[in-house]
Amino acid sequence: MVEYQNIYLTLSAILFTIGCGGVITRKNAIVVFLCIEIMLGAVNLAFVTFSRANSSPEGIFMVMCIMAVAAAEAAVGLAIFVLLYRKTGSINIDKFNLLKW
Amino acid sequence: MEQALILICGIIAIATAVMVIFSRNTVHSAMWMVGHCFILAVLFLLLKFQFIAILQVIVYAGAIMMFIIYAIMMLNLRVSDESAEPLKNVLNGRYLLVALLLIGLFIIGVGFGPMALKGSMTDPAMIKFGEVELLSNYIFAEGLLPFELVSVLLTAAIVGAVYLAKKD
Repeated sequence: MVEYQNIYLTLSAILFTIGCGGVITRKNAIVVFLCIEIMLGAVNLAFVTFSRANSSPEGIFMVMCIMAVAAAEAAVGLAIFVLLYRKTGSINIDKFNLLKW
Repeated sequence: MEQALILICGIIAIATAVMVIFSRNTVHSAMWMVGHCFILAVLFLLLKFQFIAILQVIVYAGAIMMFIIYAIMMLNLRVSDESAEPLKNVLNGRYLLVALLLIGLFIIGVGFGPMALKGSMTDPAMIKFGEVELLSNYIFAEGLLPFELVSVLLTAAIVGAVYLAKKD
C-alpha cells in the first residue's frame, strides 16, 4: 500500500483540472491538444497510484493502453490540424466551424 | 524525505502545466510540456514503477512531443493568433464549472481513502521477478485482446494520418 496515496491523487486531480481549464480557455488548437495531453498524464498518474496501492498490474496495463491511444491521437490530430491550416490559414479553433449547420 | 520529494515534484508539475497554458508562444508551450512529461516520469519513479517512467519519457517526451513540435514548425505558428487578446473574463461561468470539476475529483478520488485489494504485483514479487515480467504475464494471459486491439488502433491511426495529410 502506498503511503502517500492522497498526495498523488490530489496532484492528479489538480493537474486534470488545469488541463480542463486550458481546453476551455485557449483558442490555439495545438495548445488545446497539449492540454488534453496534460489531462491524460494526470489520469496516468492516478492509474499508477491505484496500481501501486492495490499491487495489481491492471493499472499499469491501462497506462500502456492510454499511451498508445495518445500516440494514435497525436498522429491523427496533427494531420487534421495540417489539413485545417491548409483550408483556413490559421489554427484558431473558433474558425473551425465546418460542421456547424 | 520522500514526502518532501513528492511535494517538490508535484509543485513543479503544477507549475509546468500552468506554464503550458499561459505561454503566449506555442513553441514555449510545447517545451514546458516536455518538462511536464519528465516530471511525471519522476513521479512514476517515486512510485517505484521504473518501466512506466522510461515509457513515459520515450513515448510522451520523445515521440508525441516530437510530433507536436514538428507540426508547430511546419505550420509556422511561432506566435499564436490570440496573442493580442489576454485572458479576460476570468469570472466566467465556465471557470465555475472547472472549480466544480476539481471538487468532484477530490470527492471521488481522495475521499475514498486507501483500498486493500491484493494483486500479483507485491513488493517481494517485484523484487524477485521484476516489474516487466509480472506485467507481461498479465498482458499475455488476461489482457491479450485489448493489447491486440491497440495494435489495430495504431495501424488504423497511421493509415488515417497518411490519408488525411496527403495532398490530392
